[in-house]
Amino acid sequence: MTNIAAAACKRAPIFLVAAFAFLPLAHPVQAQKAGGSITVGQELDIPGFDPLKVGVFDSSGYTAAALIFDTLTTLDDKGEAAPKLAESWTHSDDYKSWTFKLRKGVKFHDGTPFNAEAFKANFDRQKDPANKCRCAFYITTVKEVLAPDEYTIVYNLSDPSVNLPATMSIQSTNNVVQSPTAWKTKGDDYNRNPVGTGPYILKSWTAGDRMVLEKNPDYWNKGHPYLDRIVLKPLPDAQSRFASLQSGEVDIIWDDENDSDNILKAQKDSKLTVHTYKGSGAQVYAFNTKVAPFDDVRVRQALVMSIDRPKMSQAISNGLSRPATNPYGDGSWVKCKDDGALPYDLEKAKALLKDYGKPVDFKMLATATPRGRVIGQVLQQFWKRAGANMEIDQVDQATIPSRAFSRQFQLTPWRIVDLADPDPQMYANFRTGSPVALAGFSNPELDKLLDHSRVTADVAQRTEDYCAISRLINKEAIWFWTFQNTYYALSSARLKGFPKIYNGVIDVSNTWLE
Amino acid sequence: MLNFVVRRLLAILPVLLAVSLLTFLIASLLPGDLAFVILGDQATPENVAALRHDMGLDQPIWWRYLSWLGHVLQGDLGRSFRTGQTVLQAVSERIPVSLELMLMAEFIGLLIGVPLAIACAARAGGAFDRFMTGSAFAMLSMPSFLMAILLIYLFAVELHWLPATGYVPFTEEPLANLRFFVLPALTLALAEWPGIMRVLRSDMIATLQEDYIALAKAKGLKPSRILFVHALKPSSLTLVTVTGINIGRLLGGTLIVESIFALPGIGRLLVGAIYTRDLVILQGVVLLVACGFVIVNFIVDMLYAVLDPRIRHGHA
Repeated sequence: MTNIAAAACKRAPIFLVAAFAFLPLAHPVQAQKAGGSITVGQELDIPGFDPLKVGVFDSSGYTAAALIFDTLTTLDDKGEAAPKLAESWTHSDDYKSWTFKLRKGVKFHDGTPFNAEAFKANFDRQKDPANKCRCAFYITTVKEVLAPDEYTIVYNLSDPSVNLPATMSIQSTNNVVQSPTAWKTKGDDYNRNPVGTGPYILKSWTAGDRMVLEKNPDYWNKGHPYLDRIVLKPLPDAQSRFASLQSGEVDIIWDDENDSDNILKAQKDSKLTVHTYKGSGAQVYAFNTKVAPFDDVRVRQALVMSIDRPKMSQAISNGLSRPATNPYGDGSWVKCKDDGALPYDLEKAKALLKDYGKPVDFKMLATATPRGRVIGQVLQQFWKRAGANMEIDQVDQATIPSRAFSRQFQLTPWRIVDLADPDPQMYANFRTGSPVALAGFSNPELDKLLDHSRVTADVAQRTEDYCAISRLINKEAIWFWTFQNTYYALSSARLKGFPKIYNGVIDVSNTWLE
Repeated sequence: MLNFVVRRLLAILPVLLAVSLLTFLIASLLPGDLAFVILGDQATPENVAALRHDMGLDQPIWWRYLSWLGHVLQGDLGRSFRTGQTVLQAVSERIPVSLELMLMAEFIGLLIGVPLAIACAARAGGAFDRFMTGSAFAMLSMPSFLMAILLIYLFAVELHWLPATGYVPFTEEPLANLRFFVLPALTLALAEWPGIMRVLRSDMIATLQEDYIALAKAKGLKPSRILFVHALKPSSLTLVTVTGINIGRLLGGTLIVESIFALPGIGRLLVGAIYTRDLVILQGVVLLVACGFVIVNFIVDMLYAVLDPRIRHGHA
């Protein structure tokens, strides 16, 4: 067998997606209208787009990135990877090498051709240790990206990744493709003058006020986008953001369960549409199992069993928060018949604490926000009823990660975000030796399941692995989950074509006005 | 007069120095490590140590203060680590918005407060005076964020007369610009006029009891002439001070009002810097604002001296 044939056999194609390349990106069957302009009300000011400067995008940055840039892949309506700048892909048997075939004839807004070299330049710039990019952390498992020919790129990974194309669909700083010519010629100014291949071109940007984006007339996906112009406006105050939507100054706003009143009001307003996406992931909490009293499984189980989630949901979000029994969530493809969740059982919890014999006093980290305080107080009440005393340690949002990573906590809030595949987060959070394995818990069975799930292609088998992982974590109660991630956007009823809010990103690149 | 100006200027210097020290300390003593903030959630201890060294964070605090002050004196207030913008760039982009807001608010405040004060003083103790004094007190106790939300719901959501949020520069569309400023300026002004009214009212009542007013009355001058020509100027000394202090206080008010109405001014810049822990911007903006306040007070002192010559000669 020749080398080429051997290589071809090794790289068994699992996604025969080339045929889809000729179809327009998935959108609902409705009559789209071209033209018009919309305004998006965002929560935060956007700091910029150069990964070396901003590191990672926040929720407002994601929305803008989805308009200006393209990624190699996208997620279709079923949450599966579909072509975007890459037309097809194959992988090696061990899932440690992925080859992407790039779309031809695509140009950046500044005329630079998009090809393997441009893509590789993006990757190398972030990976280069001399550049000290915060974004580099998220590509540590990618050893190198090669460009064997003009329209082929190869990802070589240090760990297997069975679902790489899906996880690459997020419009993060690591995945969006930026014009190398632009960052080389603009230098420090590039951060505020981004150039991509996306459906919209940055026209003007007034700091703190507005970003105006206009339709890219040469967009590779013919017939797209529909709107002529999109204006992004930071409206930091939640009440006035909603008022601006009601009075028609903005067409779509980001929202969350903090503003349950506004969501409930919008549901009753015929001029507004509430877009809800039940994502994967959950709001979670990690016990530090290395310190008392959480070095004893009875205490951990007792605390988990004394949380009445429906009541808590009512208290913090008018019942909008959806209780979670595992870290995957309704939006994930992992569906467990048995996830081993501990039931709410106050009597059992009391008995466990009695059995433990010593007083249970501890501190829980909470964010120094009204929401952080309310959640802390609700949990405090549940645990008091079971016989445990919790003191709320309110700290700044930015302090929580540093306290968590240096293990200076007994109990800390955390989050598993909406990702197309559970592997990256589950492996980081629970594998022995991972710097992010906050609980400090090591279990060979858990490690075996985590290792197995990332090299298995069979979805049923992976589901079984992840459910077994959930059963193990629930039984040992090293982490617990309160609510599933739900994402909200509120829009004018005239705005159509708004897709699912994958990863919490408000992506208006394919919308139109009725 | 020149002597007086120089004396006051010399007195400002230690104040400015104290302001710079306090500003530096506030930003430096906030919990949380700047290197950690810049590197983000996933920073390794080695990366943090290296960055701390690069930024001089491992040096003693007095050394850091002196080196920062040295840069500030050369006009270099630093660069935001989030956007790469210099503090001066960021502030100069935002300051016209805040100035317009403050001036409009002060103007509306005076427009409401001064006539009411004169009307109250003219018939002190009367029904109108008592009603207005009571209302002023009620207005003072209304928090500005509540007032802002009420105005938005009434004028933007219900009546659709004015926009709830937004901004265009005056140079682009003057009329639209003013429309965007009406509600935020009114929010601030509604908290301003009670103070203006009460101060001017009591000063005017005192002035109206002076002998020369009695003389003017005896001469048969029209009451309106007595009020506006003879009584207003000598009664406005405290008002000038209050207006000066108000401008400084208004800066505090813009923090909330600019956030609610999404105006891209200094207040929003500061709130954003606090949220994102952009300490360089925070330090720089607080310093500039504090200096601005000191300078406004200086100007007020000068105005005082112009209005009342006894002050510049050190008699009062």
